[in-house]
Amino acid sequence: MDRHWEEETGSKWAAGTWGHQPPSALFHQLPSNATLRFRGDKALAWGAVLGEWAPQGIPQAWGSEGSKEEVAADMETIALQQLPLCMAEKRRHRLQAQKQAGQHTRWQQWQAGQQRLRRKVGSILLHTQLWRSSLTCIEGHFGTGIEAYFNFLRFLVLLNLVGALLIGGFVVAPSITFEALRLNQTERANLTANSPCMGYDPNPRGLVSYFTYVMDLLSGTGFMELTYLFYGYYQNSVVDVVGFSYNISLAYLLAVLCYFLLCLAWIVHRSVHLLKRGLVSEDGALSTYSIKVFAGWDFGLTQPPAAIWKHNSIRYELKLDLEEEASRRAMAQRSPAQRAWLYTLRSLINLLVVALLGVAFYCIYLATEYSQSTLSQQSVAQSKSKAFWELLVSYLPSIVITGANLVVPMAFGVLVRLEQYPFSQEIKLTLVRSVFLRLASLVVLLVSLWMQITCHGQTEAFDCRTCGYNHRHFPCWETRVGQEMYKLLVFDLLTMLLVTLLVEFPRKILVSHGPALLARLWGQQEFLVPANVLDLVYGQTVCWVGASFCPLLPLLNTLKYILLFYLKKLTLFSNCRPGDRTFRASSSNFFFLLVLLLGLAISWVPALYSIFALPPSQACGPFRAEPSMWNAALLAIDGLPELARGFFYFVGSLGFIVPLLLLLCIFLFYLMALADSYSRLVKELKMQLQLEGRDKVFLVNQITELS
Amino acid sequence: MGNKQTIFTPEQLDAYQDCTFFTRKEILRLFYRYRDLAPQLVPLDYSDKPDVMLPYELISSMPELKDNPFRQRIAEVFSEDGEGNMTLDDFLDMFSVLSEMAPRDLKAYYAFKIYDFNNDDYICKSDLEKTVNKLTRHELTPEEVSLVCEKVIEEADLDNDGKLSLEDFQHMIVRAPDFLSTFHIRI
Repeated sequence: MDRHWEEETGSKWAAGTWGHQPPSALFHQLPSNATLRFRGDKALAWGAVLGEWAPQGIPQAWGSEGSKEEVAADMETIALQQLPLCMAEKRRHRLQAQKQAGQHTRWQQWQAGQQRLRRKVGSILLHTQLWRSSLTCIEGHFGTGIEAYFNFLRFLVLLNLVGALLIGGFVVAPSITFEALRLNQTERANLTANSPCMGYDPNPRGLVSYFTYVMDLLSGTGFMELTYLFYGYYQNSVVDVVGFSYNISLAYLLAVLCYFLLCLAWIVHRSVHLLKRGLVSEDGALSTYSIKVFAGWDFGLTQPPAAIWKHNSIRYELKLDLEEEASRRAMAQRSPAQRAWLYTLRSLINLLVVALLGVAFYCIYLATEYSQSTLSQQSVAQSKSKAFWELLVSYLPSIVITGANLVVPMAFGVLVRLEQYPFSQEIKLTLVRSVFLRLASLVVLLVSLWMQITCHGQTEAFDCRTCGYNHRHFPCWETRVGQEMYKLLVFDLLTMLLVTLLVEFPRKILVSHGPALLARLWGQQEFLVPANVLDLVYGQTVCWVGASFCPLLPLLNTLKYILLFYLKKLTLFSNCRPGDRTFRASSSNFFFLLVLLLGLAISWVPALYSIFALPPSQACGPFRAEPSMWNAALLAIDGLPELARGFFYFVGSLGFIVPLLLLLCIFLFYLMALADSYSRLVKELKMQLQLEGRDKVFLVNQITELS
Repeated sequence: MGNKQTIFTPEQLDAYQDCTFFTRKEILRLFYRYRDLAPQLVPLDYSDKPDVMLPYELISSMPELKDNPFRQRIAEVFSEDGEGNMTLDDFLDMFSVLSEMAPRDLKAYYAFKIYDFNNDDYICKSDLEKTVNKLTRHELTPEEVSLVCEKVIEEADLDNDGKLSLEDFQHMIVRAPDFLSTFHIRI
């Protein structure tokens, strides 16, 4: 059967490519060897094999075994486009399938129609993605690594837009319409107008000058405080119109909770989708070289400079890997004395890193305290310089946070080189430390705010006794927290604009038109994906923390990220060159989402804490008469019919939650055990495969000798 | 809008749609790209199935393939005569496999054939050396190239015969999640 083919191709074996002996002719007849067919007239085409005989013609890679009828049925269910045949064979196969289609039942015809429809819809959806042409262009010039960053940015824009629509639709729009229509809003509870907790008046007094407006716009005070932007402006009211009752406070609470749940669900869905592709290997280090060689060249690159960069980067990476291998071998041969010295050095450096972080956090804490206490003493700025000074003081926490995030990672970069880790581990360690610094500085800011609002947690302290919170300095504390987040957002955007305009563009001009020495020493800007992604995650975490106190913040964040997309694209094409090391897109996509989830987890804490534990301000906001924000939901539940009320009380009781937690723990342990056993199974199967290969070689050689 | 084209018969267009991952519009767009390479050779009427083959030099001058170090192998693998001269069928087939809708197994099959320089169904050490040299434009020393090839065979060769078969290659590609996005040409 294959004899004429084996005569033709037998001579093609290069000597010495197969271990010790040239392969015997018997190998060509093995079924596993019949996996590839040449195209053209040299050997039998697939289609011919399928048409005439035997299941052996079908490659094992497509995994069909069995009788001819089963095989033919299998081939039909695989879409025609996915068959590795040449066009002529596909057309023949299609004609055959069409002849048989007439004999198909209506169910099968409907199924085929559905498949075709699904394919069409899928391709339409692919074509209508936002910014698709920009991403294509970026991928063609700079590769998939940098395109991953812009993909992530696009995802964040969509996430923020949907969140803004959710909160806007349920909280902001009804408030605006009710006010515009002048509907009767019944206040939820009677408040004692003369209580000391009610002293809140953000109205600007006297003549308001022009620059005060600008300062107010930038810091969210004054006229900005009396808009729908901040929590304090909303009413604690119920609107009853023609049998339709809308409870603003309940809507606010539920909208915020749903927004967080939506973000969680969407991010988890996306990361699971990426996880399937990214973490298939139990051990990524097992195939670094083969992946770099076979999946290293980006076929989508179309520009000659990009192609040259890619060649250089692949060469650089392979060289780096070989060097790392050599240095790893050298490190393994270190003496115990050298090892002890290295470990003490590493622990010292880690202590130094912790000390640096401590100093940075303390500075942030001091800055926040100073800024808040200065702002609490309200006074109308009479002169420009005083107003400017006030602006500077109110932005002090943001300035200190940004400064710390610029300076400390540079120190990390220097210190990590002293620790003598292999290069890839160095990068990971620096990245982990930078992530920690970014997110923890935000946490420190929130903690220092909390300490001021609740008098360091002591409700019996002098300032907090009457209202449960520091009502003299914070008559409307939620708005103040919202303002801090607003300021962080504005400052982040301003920083990015300034850095692009004042650092990146001049650098490009200097490097390309200045002295050659400068070009060699400094070089063109490299687009560093991890640092930029950390910026995005930080901005998104700020938005999440502020969303419960500043309902329009997701909308502002959407606008900010849209602006950022165009800004970064501009700076990428004008000022940057591709990086030396290829940024691996797939594993890093999952890493970005993981860090984003971490930010979401951090932002849940202040939101939930303020909903359940902190007393809301009595002078402002939709929860002004309640003992806690969650109380609005409890009151709503009390208003439900008996069955629903009983159900909710049961779900919230310990009797339900504790067994649920236990069940989840058991399930978690089961999944971990399953994963462990799968990885062991895979290792055993790999060993078996090697043994089978050796058996095959041995047996065939024996047969050849005997015959 | 739709049915005014006179290049293909409706049956031909349907056949192309079923056999590739492209829609009608994309197939026509690709036809015009093919024709732009040699307007005097390619007729505007394909309904009588003319036997037109564009030489390899024209195919490799396309901007999508011009800078690809493997363009010769790609053309050879997808051409009917094995020399790189492509008919319209081969052209469509090539871009269909390299499009983003092709599944991983299909791409892995053709990638294997592309990297198999001597067409012997196995990627042996000499094939690997040629691949690495094409990737780095001969800028690595021969010892480094040989080291890299040894490491690749060590990592990917599961049945221990000193070279990579299609199964070895596909097992390795499963662990390369970037493969789907790098083995992709947008046109």
